[in-house]
Amino acid sequence: MPTMEWAWLIPVLSFAAFPIIAIGGKFLPGKGSFLAILAIAAGFVLFWFVAIDRIRLGASGVDFFTQRWFEAGSVTLSWGMIIDPLTIVMLGLVTFVALMIQIYSLSYMKGDSRFGWYFAVHSFFAASMLTLVLADNFLLLYVAWELVGLCSYLLIGFWYERRSAAEAAKKAFVTTRIADVALLVGILLLFKEVGSFSMSDTFREAQALMAGGESLLTSGTATAAAILLFIGAMGKSAQVPFHVWLPDAMEGPTPVSALIHAATMVVAGVFLVARAFPLFQASPDALLIVASVGLVTTLVAATMALVATDLKRILAYSTVSHLGLMMLSLGAFGYTAAIFHLLAHGFSKALLFLGAGSVMHGANQTDIRQMGGLRKVMPITALTFAIGALSLGGMPVFAGFWSKDEILLSVLDNRHGVFIALTLVAVFLSALYMARAYFVAFLGDLKEENRKAHESPLFMALPLVLLAVLAAVFGFIALEWTSDFTGIGSFLFYDKPHGFEFNVALGVGSTAITVAAFALAWAAYRTGALSLTPFKRGFFPLIKLAENGYFFDHLYQWTIDRLVLVFSGFIAWFDRVVVNDAGVDGPANSVRHSSFSLRRHVTGRVYNYALGMVVGAVGVAVAWWALVLGR
Amino acid sequence: MTMDDFKSIALLLTILIPAGAGTLLVFFPRDRATPIKLFAALAAALTLALTILIFAMYDYKEGGYQFINSYPWLDRPLNIDFSLGIDGISAPMVLLTGIVMFGGVLISWNVDRRTKDFFILFMFLVAGVFGVFVVRDLFFLFFFYELAVLPMFPLIAVWGSTTNFGNFIRAKEYGAMKLTLYLVAGSVLVWIAIIALYVAAGEFVAGKGIGQASFSLEGLAALSDDGAFSENFQRIFFPFFMVGFGVLAGLWPFHTWSPDGHVAAPTAVSMVHAGVLMKLGAYGIIRVGMTLLPHGAEDWMPVLIGLGTVNVLYGAVSALSQRDLKYVVGYSSVSHMGLVLMGIATLHPLGTGGAVLQMFSHGIMTALFFAVVGIIYERTHTRDITVLGGLAKRMGITVVFFAVAGLTSLGLPGLSGFIAELLIFIGVFKEYLPLAVLGVVGAAITAVYVLRLLARAFFGPVEDPRWEKLSDGNPRELGVSAMLVAILIVVGVWPLPLMNVINAGVAELLARFPGA
Repeated sequence: MPTMEWAWLIPVLSFAAFPIIAIGGKFLPGKGSFLAILAIAAGFVLFWFVAIDRIRLGASGVDFFTQRWFEAGSVTLSWGMIIDPLTIVMLGLVTFVALMIQIYSLSYMKGDSRFGWYFAVHSFFAASMLTLVLADNFLLLYVAWELVGLCSYLLIGFWYERRSAAEAAKKAFVTTRIADVALLVGILLLFKEVGSFSMSDTFREAQALMAGGESLLTSGTATAAAILLFIGAMGKSAQVPFHVWLPDAMEGPTPVSALIHAATMVVAGVFLVARAFPLFQASPDALLIVASVGLVTTLVAATMALVATDLKRILAYSTVSHLGLMMLSLGAFGYTAAIFHLLAHGFSKALLFLGAGSVMHGANQTDIRQMGGLRKVMPITALTFAIGALSLGGMPVFAGFWSKDEILLSVLDNRHGVFIALTLVAVFLSALYMARAYFVAFLGDLKEENRKAHESPLFMALPLVLLAVLAAVFGFIALEWTSDFTGIGSFLFYDKPHGFEFNVALGVGSTAITVAAFALAWAAYRTGALSLTPFKRGFFPLIKLAENGYFFDHLYQWTIDRLVLVFSGFIAWFDRVVVNDAGVDGPANSVRHSSFSLRRHVTGRVYNYALGMVVGAVGVAVAWWALVLGR
Repeated sequence: MTMDDFKSIALLLTILIPAGAGTLLVFFPRDRATPIKLFAALAAALTLALTILIFAMYDYKEGGYQFINSYPWLDRPLNIDFSLGIDGISAPMVLLTGIVMFGGVLISWNVDRRTKDFFILFMFLVAGVFGVFVVRDLFFLFFFYELAVLPMFPLIAVWGSTTNFGNFIRAKEYGAMKLTLYLVAGSVLVWIAIIALYVAAGEFVAGKGIGQASFSLEGLAALSDDGAFSENFQRIFFPFFMVGFGVLAGLWPFHTWSPDGHVAAPTAVSMVHAGVLMKLGAYGIIRVGMTLLPHGAEDWMPVLIGLGTVNVLYGAVSALSQRDLKYVVGYSSVSHMGLVLMGIATLHPLGTGGAVLQMFSHGIMTALFFAVVGIIYERTHTRDITVLGGLAKRMGITVVFFAVAGLTSLGLPGLSGFIAELLIFIGVFKEYLPLAVLGVVGAAITAVYVLRLLARAFFGPVEDPRWEKLSDGNPRELGVSAMLVAILIVVGVWPLPLMNVINAGVAELLARFPGA
């Protein structure tokens, strides 16, 4: 098949850009930034060839190859790649969003002392993520997974001179590493049972298990493996209780946040669950856990977004909330809906973050309470941000509306009534906080200190506009366009293709909820109640709780300080005092002391020795008498 | 010189070049440091080239002992030959020693006190290490094992550093004394077991009337196959090797010499010590204990794997609350050698192969760690993490290299440590699932202490105005570190050449364990 001949090049181009820019960037024009952009742009072009090829061949076609890596004992460890519709849509998302963000960064990062390093790591990041979505092998997936984590560590901590950035980077890496323990154990468990790291082999066994046929997996191992993989996904996709690293991750440059939130890092977890869907489907228990964790995450994060005042923090909690929605969708068998939402959210969230970056660049503000009226000085940013907010809020015809509706449908069809009720609450909250952020930041009167604010330059505005177009119209991909492409549901699906379904009652209902949320936000904004003061009286403890992020951070900090470090200190003390000073030095000292005390008897005086001899002789005689004669 | 001529003397040269260089250095004038250093560097470069050649020429498809040669030494009454040869397990170790030795000599350029004595001792230390890896005779293995341990004492006691922790002090003399006594105590156990082995073999041979017992490793292995060592004998004497050699591998609870010794030692000695010397312990367990006493080994493996797991977790947790850079690295060595012990004890091709790869990988990684810490200490004169801070601003490349070592130790894919750990975990997983999980948890704790250290000591604002004037490593220092970094990356991305050789060695070792 022709597609594979090109697809592997997509990550390789960006991988190749990394060392060239990192080492030789100093000597290149633009510190090598153009190489990064060229590599990802070429990747984006290749994506179109691959995608069109695949659409022509029909959705059933799957292309893969395997390459030997090395051998250990009699086991050959290989890495393999797969091209299926899931891979293709992810390739499109990653290459496009990364390209937009890199163009944007040309302006945004201008003059930074590590401009070249920024683009080098950006390339590495994109390459790792592209490898992750191409992997048909748990080993390669884990490799890419960890490299994605490394790159986000490097980029979150890009301004490492700031204590907060260094800490945020560490927190992100450590939190996801802890979740990765489960992922690695899950992968090892599957290897032990199936005898191969190949996903195709593993999923064949899972499907055999589903069908009730002969399988190397049992339902117990399938459930255990699925849950372990999901814990790994929870770390990367910032699901409660692993979500704490994501809000702090905004310590990195804003375009980095856009990349992490939209196209790399956090979507890796959702992608993993989608990729391993055959395994999850073989385990109803695991899927129920996925759905429940997703639901809790989406609600908890939405309330935190509602009370946050930092624009980037609002967006960060919103990402957590929407990732929860995607997990919920997967947990409700909404495979297509989840990935559809992943794409729609990706474009919208990249747009919003870049918009926030534009505000920081033009007005130098991060707290929405310090903004207000920016619409007047930053018209492009304001308009595009509004489109992003409407899309994410789920307003009809914008991208987020379509995917959200698909999710609601899955939840309604496949899960308990409580799930759909609470999901609708999350939908309401999602529209509410987006509306609040937009109204407070962009409408109203311009503040005095923001008079000097200005619209961002072309390189920053262009990506905003392109992403806004997508956020506005991407949803129409759900519909039939050509005879080859009859809607995303018949291209990207699990099990069987399905057209775009629209449940009128649900669609009208959810739209009503969205409109009501926007209206409520508007009303509250006009009456000035958005400062929350009246609410605070009524719901004070609840708001306090949300403002403090439900004390997850406090709990973890307490655990680390009071439990982990104290325990570690105890072990270190134990090692020094008990094992070393008592266990090692103790015998050594007793030898020394006894030799010291023995030395005192070696006086060199003859009469001392004579006494010793007499005592000894008498002693021997007595002993002889007692032991031999006395018997 | 034909190929066969070269093959027959190559291993001898790995001992003779360092030992000869050490001897010749005696005749160098004491007060001129540069010729001494240049000569040492020349010897190290020659040795490195030689070890690369040897490794490349080892034919893994054929396997077994290669580069064989033998010189009669003491025919009667003991029957000892000075016989040489390497197999798939020792070949990577020889290469490792060549690399670390070369790096160690270059990093010692600023040893300005008693330079001549330093390099003489260093050369003999390395000659001893090579000796252990290339001999096929138990007597000489022990001889070189001791030769490698002894120069450590003066090297640490004279050129080392004393650490003051406020509430207690770790003097360099203390570190040197403890290390030497501890390792000698381990040697005593080994020596007892060797003699027991020799006597038992002699009785067996005499009973059958087939000549005389020898110290030849292959000869003893053949006798072991014929049943010269009863199962009871093996069960009693395997622990002598396991603990005796294990001391040098940092086996818990006999590990405390290792952090204190590493910290007290000068940079190059720490590199050789943690990088190569600790591997002698693991190598001894494999080469002597497991090869000659397979039944005993099989019985004791659950204990070894358990202790290895303790090593992994205990070392990692201890490292978490260390304040001195070198102590962090020292305890991380305890933790990582635990992975080696776990892997060895699996008696599984992947686990044991992973352990050998981990020996190589950890050797390079920890040499890099100590080299970089040395570069930093050279400039800051402190290794206290709480005093350092923001060094990345002035020492960017040095910090990147430290980070690579740290990422290797936490098992980041793309670097050699990941592959070794993965193989070990697969091996352990087969039979000891909970221990494998604990091992993975140990890797996560490693991530915590490595990342905490990076954030605290290297990132964040510059904590002390003195650090504003620091300079990055010079080309020589950075060159050594870059070489080690490159090896970590190459092995991490392309482990095939190394694994082919290791597979050959491990397959032969495990063939002795029909039950496994």
